[in-house]
Amino acid sequence: MSRHLSLIFKNSLRNKRRSVLTILSIAVSLCLLGVLMALYHSFFHSEAPEEQALRLIVRNRVSLANPLPLSYKQRIAGVNGVKDVMVFQWFGGTYKDARDPANFFARFAVDPEKLSTNFPEYKMSEDQWKAFLSEQTACIVGRKTAARHNMRPGMRVVLAGDIFPVKLQLTVRGIYDADRDNENMFFHFKYLNESLSQGQMDHVGTFSVRLERVEDAGMVAKAIDDMFRNAPLQTKTETEKAFELSFIAFLGNVKAFLLLICGAVTFTILLVAGNTMAMSVRERVREVGILKTLGYTPGAVMGLLMGESVAMSILGGGIGLGLAYGLCAVLRESPSMFTDMSRITVPPPVALIAMGVAAAIGILSCVVPAYNASRRPIVEALRFTD
Amino acid sequence: MSEWVIETRNLTKEFRRAQFKIPALKNADLHVQKGEFVALMGPSGSGKSTLLHLIAAMDRPTGGEVFVMGQDVGKLSEGAVARWRNAHIGFVFQSFNLIPVLTALENVELPLKLTKLGKSKRIEHAKKALDVVGLSDRLHHAPRQLSGGQEQRVAIARAIVTDPDVILADEPTGNLDSGSAQDVLTLLGRLNKEFGKTIVMVTHDPHAARTASRIRYLDKGELLPEGQVPEDWALTIPAKE
Ligand SMILES: Nc1ncnc2c1ncn2[C@@H]1O[C@H](COP(=O)(O)OP(=O)(O)OP(=O)(O)O)[C@@H](O)[C@H]1O
Ligand SMILES: [Mg+2]
Repeated sequence: MSRHLSLIFKNSLRNKRRSVLTILSIAVSLCLLGVLMALYHSFFHSEAPEEQALRLIVRNRVSLANPLPLSYKQRIAGVNGVKDVMVFQWFGGTYKDARDPANFFARFAVDPEKLSTNFPEYKMSEDQWKAFLSEQTACIVGRKTAARHNMRPGMRVVLAGDIFPVKLQLTVRGIYDADRDNENMFFHFKYLNESLSQGQMDHVGTFSVRLERVEDAGMVAKAIDDMFRNAPLQTKTETEKAFELSFIAFLGNVKAFLLLICGAVTFTILLVAGNTMAMSVRERVREVGILKTLGYTPGAVMGLLMGESVAMSILGGGIGLGLAYGLCAVLRESPSMFTDMSRITVPPPVALIAMGVAAAIGILSCVVPAYNASRRPIVEALRFTD
Repeated sequence: MSEWVIETRNLTKEFRRAQFKIPALKNADLHVQKGEFVALMGPSGSGKSTLLHLIAAMDRPTGGEVFVMGQDVGKLSEGAVARWRNAHIGFVFQSFNLIPVLTALENVELPLKLTKLGKSKRIEHAKKALDVVGLSDRLHHAPRQLSGGQEQRVAIARAIVTDPDVILADEPTGNLDSGSAQDVLTLLGRLNKEFGKTIVMVTHDPHAARTASRIRYLDKGELLPEGQVPEDWALTIPAKE
């Protein structure tokens, strides 16, 4: 086969414009496919990092919009296997002009003294931890968000509440680093709580539970929910990873949606490529007759035609994957609700699948016209005029 | 085994068009000896090309047999017949039929890519064949950068590069001006005389036919007996050299 590569290569450059357009359309589709699969992978297939696997989220069974009493914290802390419990209150609110999506980052009201226990992956200097703890209006922000908004220790940040009718005047006291999820802001729940009216006080949307051991996750979750089974407000406890996933489930059946688009993209590109290949094989019928006259078997002819198609698809796929890597890098940098997005990349298995799809498109789009052309009797092929 | 390089027995070909049968060749018995140069002549549609295609096993007969070098060509499978053609037949078309994206050298190398020869040997043979046809200085030209006569000579180089037993040429001068046609005929004559190649050439041109050592005529699908010319064949019988 290798000795025929030059013919395959030169043939695929024969109609340059069409080849380039075909390769580009495959590239764009595969880029899309790559990014979608990367999303799918980061949402549904990536393992929770060890620290995250050690955390549970407790919330109201009814919905996220219904809070739990603050008093639940003490009771959860008493459950066997629980190392610590922390208030983990989504604040929402707006920073500067909310219309600019760049101004979006997640803000949580927490128990500051427990943050470093529950989230040991957040790295910050001893001094900054101290500064954060010693001042009720202190806050800390992740490195990425700090960089984006030019935040430095000492800087004042005003958050206008939307869920909560308050305006928080915070002072940045620390910038933390983390491998993932370094875009959040944390401040004292106490400060928020004391700014609220009597009616709203002492309620918490979610608690973050730190486990003693990863293996206990299921057992502890059940124990917590069982404890509140007969209470007026029941709880729903799940792993943090599962909680994040339920969050994107707000958007609908994301899994099926992603798969559906992937399928549609693949099918469309198959049709486009199939049409192009049928056209280029048709132009080549006479040449097939010549090659067969020279002694090329139908199999060899078929190999040449398929080789051309597969070569173009794989080239397009490669370019598409390159684009997908680039796009993922852009997505990683852009602000997002979902922690998973901040780590999105095209992992090797996804790249492999994408290239497999590209190769399959090359084969499937060409197999029928190539087969027909290669079986056509020589004399008929030589008489063939387009 | 027969002593003939080409032997056809009762060779018959019918084409089907809807419910009609078109008899293109009827019971042709052609015998060609080693080293002969036979010209096939006859009116348009008389079955000349059909006969040539059947000899080259590019088409299957509906009756009779073709033997080339004693091999019953009809008995070969599809794959085997391709390999057999590669080794034993060199075919020259009226319309050259070079691959446009390949250079002269690459076109000539093409049939050798089906052999066991390594790259350097293939190039060596292809260059030699192009040297024989007098195109050593056009190795890297694309077909569209060549004149018609030069293209046909490249096609002839491609036909001889595998050193086949038989060269079959279907109106090789049909698309050429008289000067280029003469070059091609001289070349075929040389291949026959100097290299001892057995050649069967279809032609409409009496002058071209004169290059051959023997002329056979076809008329309405019939191969006429040696020496016989189709009725109302307006042209003079070319004299043998
Ligand atoms: N594939 C085909 N299908 C149907 N009929 C065919 C086919 N090929 C040839 N024929 C018919 O067979 C007859 C012989 O054709 P052939 O091409 O052998 O003639 P020819 O002597 O080469 O003519 P020309 O000098 O015009 O090339 C013609 O009547 C032609 O129409
Ligand atoms: Mg003809």
